[in-house]
Amino acid sequence: MEIEITQERLSKALNIVSRVAATTKTGLPILNNVLLRADGNQLSLTATNLELATVDYLAAKIQKSGTITVPAKLLAEFISNLPKNTTINLLAKDGKLVTTAGKYKSTINGIAADDFPELPRIEEKNAVTFKVESSSFHSAITEVIVTSSNDTTRPALTGVYFNTFEKSLYIAATDGYRLSEKKFIEDVTSDVFAVVPTSSLQEVLRSVSDDIDDIEMLFDETQVRFRMGEIEITSKLIDGSFPDYRQLIPKKTDINIELNKAEFTRMTKVAALFARESGGSVICETRADDKTFSISAVASELGENSSAMEANVDSDGKVVLNSRFLIDAIGAIDEDKLNFGFSGKLAPVVIRGAKDKDYTHIIMPLKS
Amino acid sequence: MRNEWQSVLDEIGRNVSDMAFATYFSNLKLASNKNNILTIEVPNVFIKAQIEGKYNPVVIRALKTIGIKYDQIKLTESKTERKTTRRSIEVLPESKPTRKAETHTITSNRLVARDNGLNPKYRFDNYIVGSNNDLAVSAAHAIVEHPGERYNPYFIYGGPGLGKTHLIQAIGNELIKQNPNMKILYVTIEQFYHDFVEAMRKKLDGFTDKYRKLDVLIIDDFQFIVGKEKSQDEFFHTFNELHQKNKQIIVSSDRLPTQIATVDERLSSRLMMGVPIDIQLPDFEVRCAILKSKAELLGVDIENRAIEYLAENIKSNIRDLEGKLNQLLALSELRGVSPSDLIEDGYIEEAIYTKRRVVSPKQLIDKVAKYYNLPSKEILGKSRVKHIKSARQVVMYLLNEELNLSTVRIGTELSKDHSTVIHGIRKIKQDLKLDFSLREQIADLREKIYVS
Repeated sequence: MEIEITQERLSKALNIVSRVAATTKTGLPILNNVLLRADGNQLSLTATNLELATVDYLAAKIQKSGTITVPAKLLAEFISNLPKNTTINLLAKDGKLVTTAGKYKSTINGIAADDFPELPRIEEKNAVTFKVESSSFHSAITEVIVTSSNDTTRPALTGVYFNTFEKSLYIAATDGYRLSEKKFIEDVTSDVFAVVPTSSLQEVLRSVSDDIDDIEMLFDETQVRFRMGEIEITSKLIDGSFPDYRQLIPKKTDINIELNKAEFTRMTKVAALFARESGGSVICETRADDKTFSISAVASELGENSSAMEANVDSDGKVVLNSRFLIDAIGAIDEDKLNFGFSGKLAPVVIRGAKDKDYTHIIMPLKS
Repeated sequence: MRNEWQSVLDEIGRNVSDMAFATYFSNLKLASNKNNILTIEVPNVFIKAQIEGKYNPVVIRALKTIGIKYDQIKLTESKTERKTTRRSIEVLPESKPTRKAETHTITSNRLVARDNGLNPKYRFDNYIVGSNNDLAVSAAHAIVEHPGERYNPYFIYGGPGLGKTHLIQAIGNELIKQNPNMKILYVTIEQFYHDFVEAMRKKLDGFTDKYRKLDVLIIDDFQFIVGKEKSQDEFFHTFNELHQKNKQIIVSSDRLPTQIATVDERLSSRLMMGVPIDIQLPDFEVRCAILKSKAELLGVDIENRAIEYLAENIKSNIRDLEGKLNQLLALSELRGVSPSDLIEDGYIEEAIYTKRRVVSPKQLIDKVAKYYNLPSKEILGKSRVKHIKSARQVVMYLLNEELNLSTVRIGTELSKDHSTVIHGIRKIKQDLKLDFSLREQIADLREKIYVS
């Protein structure tokens, strides 16, 4: 294999691909490596941790096609330290990768590409495909992954549930104590019910750069592929059924108030300081007589805190919430005004943006 | 077999590096070996690709060495069934609005002749019969056998969420099944009205044809005819023509035609010709049976305790009952806690009562007063005029039943003696057994109280 490619393009691709390498627990050496494959007029870089694989396809000047694998992190760091605007020559010979860029030269010991794991294939014809603008992909995924769980004893909750309902694609995540849902794509024609690992989605988010317009998602029974520009990320799906969460979103709540986000955030953060002793629990209260919404916390050792803001409210109500969850929820919504709805002490609390009704964030109250 | 499988794994281990073994093989399980098909479980699609590709010869060699015979190897990623179809199975529809939307779209492209507005998921075999509805159901079966004869018109009525829609659509579906050429149409009265207005506006003649040439006309939610005099007239004529031709007419409503203010006498007397049959709230045993059959359909195990708790506490209607069951099951799945533990923790209890909590005694009094067209202060006053007094007793009864207020507390709210309150509540309880219209009123009021 022998190719020529610019430093900037190779470095950018290696940075993305190498993140996946060397993340498995067993430490099989080949999994620390990136696979370079030169074929036709294209160089592909591949790394996998056997749950996720990233491939970057680069146009390059191929002098001789061929393959090799070398430690991904080492190659990535070496290339990124080379001067910009240089042309890099990569030559694979006798199981070694020789890299030359002007006065810089290195030889890295590799492993034959035969040992590199084969990647599962996706039948594109049979796959369910969706296409979405990368900006809306970014905001939607970011909004829901806050509520996903990292408790591996319940695998289905460590992912984001892609599901179609009434001709729209929804995404949802829950950790058992809170839940968020976003109407992701409207008017879809095929159905999908799949749990995508949150870690894979984070990897996709990290790999999306500003110059990518659209992201294509291809689902089959056991895997999903995200295609964005020259990058393809393929992930396993999580096996196991996601809870029938839609049942848990209250259709309406008894007390509904509109709150200023900045003020709401400040009040919650202040109360959270006093809530450390009580495991983060803060008391949200509405009062009809003086039309206020207040958040308070009591720390028997330290003291107590209470702040209130005006709110258009007709009845008294009280609910106890985990302040960390509340801060996450407020933070997930990118609007100046939020709707906060609840009914009674134990019914789920619903938080939405005042304008965007496609995103719903639910927090289960704490028992007081 | 398990021991042999372990030997196979050991054999593979001798042929690949430790790390490769740990990476690719340590989580392989033999799922089954039936009919000479070896089914091997793999953790995910990536591992599967390696076993299928690169390590295929290693596995085959190991199987051969240990002496396991097989014709075929199958690799599967999962043991749990993915994509459970749970959501698609329902005994009753989740909510009326969606169903209406469905029928609406169906009738809006009415060029398709076989569009009869019926939803095939409403069938007799998933309709649970109890003392609350057995009369209605046996009449329904009689209609299927002899449409247009004995129960014509078939008029059923009862509160929301008790299964009226399910039953009348089940009749339609069963009739179609037995007589594929029968012309059946299911519409809500609102749809009828829209069709009529549309026909008037565009001067189409299709309307008469569409309705008057039917073999079976099924009208749902008849009570919404209120305030639509023109279409009432049209309905009257449609009714007459169909009835004269011995065509079956099926109507559901939340109350009797005579109790719908704007329905004139000639129409209501016609609707009352067949005997109107009411559907009541199912009793405890039937509620349990409904919950059990629903849980069975969903393929979930739920403790009897939890079922009984729900059946005991949810007395509004079947839709709420099933809704609460769904919610409980979803929460249980989400939390990884069994349904009865959730109930013990108070989650469902709260959810049931939150509805009640919102209503204050004063709001309840206002609502009852408004219902009887009385000023609230009359209810709170001392008048002994009969209709005011009985409205007051209804208030007492509802405060006690719905808000769980003690008789003493009710006395304070109404500035009445505690014994007067006891008497009032007892009076209503007694009258309820005999007085049909009082029962209707109370049911109506219950609705009104919670619909803000």
